[in-house]
Amino acid sequence: MLIVKDLSVERIDKKIFENINLSLTPGNITILRGKNGSGKTTLLKAILNLIEPSFGSIFWKGKLLKNNFYDFYNHTTYIADTTSSLRKLTIKDNVNIWKKFFISNIGDAQIETALKTLKLDNYLNKKVATLSFGETKKLEFLRLIIENKKVWILDEPFSNLDEDSIELMKQTFEDHSSKEGSIIFSSHQNPGIYVTEEIEL
Amino acid sequence: MNFLNKIIFFYYREYKLNMSGAQDILTNIIFFFISIFIFIFSIGPDKQTISIIGVGILWTLLLLSSTLSLRKFYQDDFENGNLIIMHLNGFSFGFIAILKTFSHFIFVQIPFLLSIPIACILLNIANDKLFYLFASFSIGSLILSCLGSISSSMNLMNQRNFLLGSVMVMIFSVPIIIFSVGIINMEESFNSLINILFGILLIVFAINPWASGLCLKLSLENN
Repeated sequence: MLIVKDLSVERIDKKIFENINLSLTPGNITILRGKNGSGKTTLLKAILNLIEPSFGSIFWKGKLLKNNFYDFYNHTTYIADTTSSLRKLTIKDNVNIWKKFFISNIGDAQIETALKTLKLDNYLNKKVATLSFGETKKLEFLRLIIENKKVWILDEPFSNLDEDSIELMKQTFEDHSSKEGSIIFSSHQNPGIYVTEEIEL
Repeated sequence: MNFLNKIIFFYYREYKLNMSGAQDILTNIIFFFISIFIFIFSIGPDKQTISIIGVGILWTLLLLSSTLSLRKFYQDDFENGNLIIMHLNGFSFGFIAILKTFSHFIFVQIPFLLSIPIACILLNIANDKLFYLFASFSIGSLILSCLGSISSSMNLMNQRNFLLGSVMVMIFSVPIIIFSVGIINMEESFNSLINILFGILLIVFAINPWASGLCLKLSLENN
C-alpha cells in the first residue's frame, strides 16, 4: 500500500533524517522511535505530503504519493501531537462537528460506546477547555473511530496517557491491525505493543 | 455531493466557533461605536462638519475595526492542527483560504454591515447615501477579507510582530478607501466607481487562494 523509499529531509543545510525506508501493508504496525528533535514528526509530515522531501520518494498504491495524495488522504486519519478539538466547544459539539465534517457513517450508539470506553461519557456537555490534557488526548482518539479509515498516522499517541488508557490504546491498535488496518506511530519508547516494523531515527 | 456536504459542515463548524466566541464579534462592534463617539466628541457638536467628514470617518473605522480580528483568521486552526485536518479531509490550501475568507466576511464583516444604519444616524449621514454606503461596503469588505487572508497567512510564522499584518492590509486598502468614499460623495459617478471597486475585488479574489494557500503550505512545512 504505502512504500517509503530512501527518504531524506534537509532543512537549511541540516539533515533531519536520511535514507528512511518503510513499507506499510494491511495489518502492519510501524513504530518510529527516536529522541526529541530526531525528526519523527517531520517524517510523519513528509509521509502525509505536507513536507517536500530532499531526496527519495513515497508511493501509495503503486503511484507517486504527490500525484495521488487525495486518494491517500481518503484512507488516512492523522492525529498530531497537538489537540485538534475545539477548546471553546463542548465534547458533544466537537463529536457532532467531526461526525458531519468527515461524513462519518458511524452510528450514535457506536460513538456512545466509544465515549464510555474512553470514560468521557460523563463530560459530554463540558467544554474541552475544562478537560485535563489526558482527557483531551483521549477525545482526540475518538476521531479514529469517527473517521473509520484504514491507515492511522499518530504522533506520540501515548504521551500524557495513564496506564489504563495506554492499555486501551494497545487493544485498539491490535483490533485495528486484525481488521487489515495499518498504523504508523511515533514514540520515545514502545509501551509494549507488538509492532511489525521498528524504525530508529 | 460529499464535497458539498463537507463545505456546508465547514461553515457549520465556523458558525459554532463564532457563536461560542460571540463576545469577540461584540467587542469589535463596541470598538467601532466607541471610536465613532470619540470622533464626534473631538470634532464638536457642529452637525454640518460631522456630516461632511462622516463618510470618511465611517470607512476608516470600519477598516480599523475589521483589522482587529485578523490575528484570529488562521492562527487557531494553524496551532491546533485543524488546517492539516481540513487539508486531509480533501480541501486544498487555496480552497481553505477561499472558505475562510467567506467565513471572515460572514461572521466579522456582516455585523459591521448591519450596524452601518445606526452609525449613519450618529454621524448625521443622509438617508439617501445609505444605499451607496451599503453597496461600497459590501464589495469593499470582501476585498478587506481577501487582503486579511493574505496578510494573516503570511504572518503565521511571525510570532513577534503581528501588527505587521494589519499594517499591510491598511496600506493595500488605500485604493479601496478612495473609491468607496468616492462612490458616496460623487453619486453621479456611481457606476464607474463601483465597477472599479468590483474590478479590485476580482483581482484580490483571484490572487487570494494562490498567495494564502502557498503561505499556509509553507507555514505548515516550517512549523
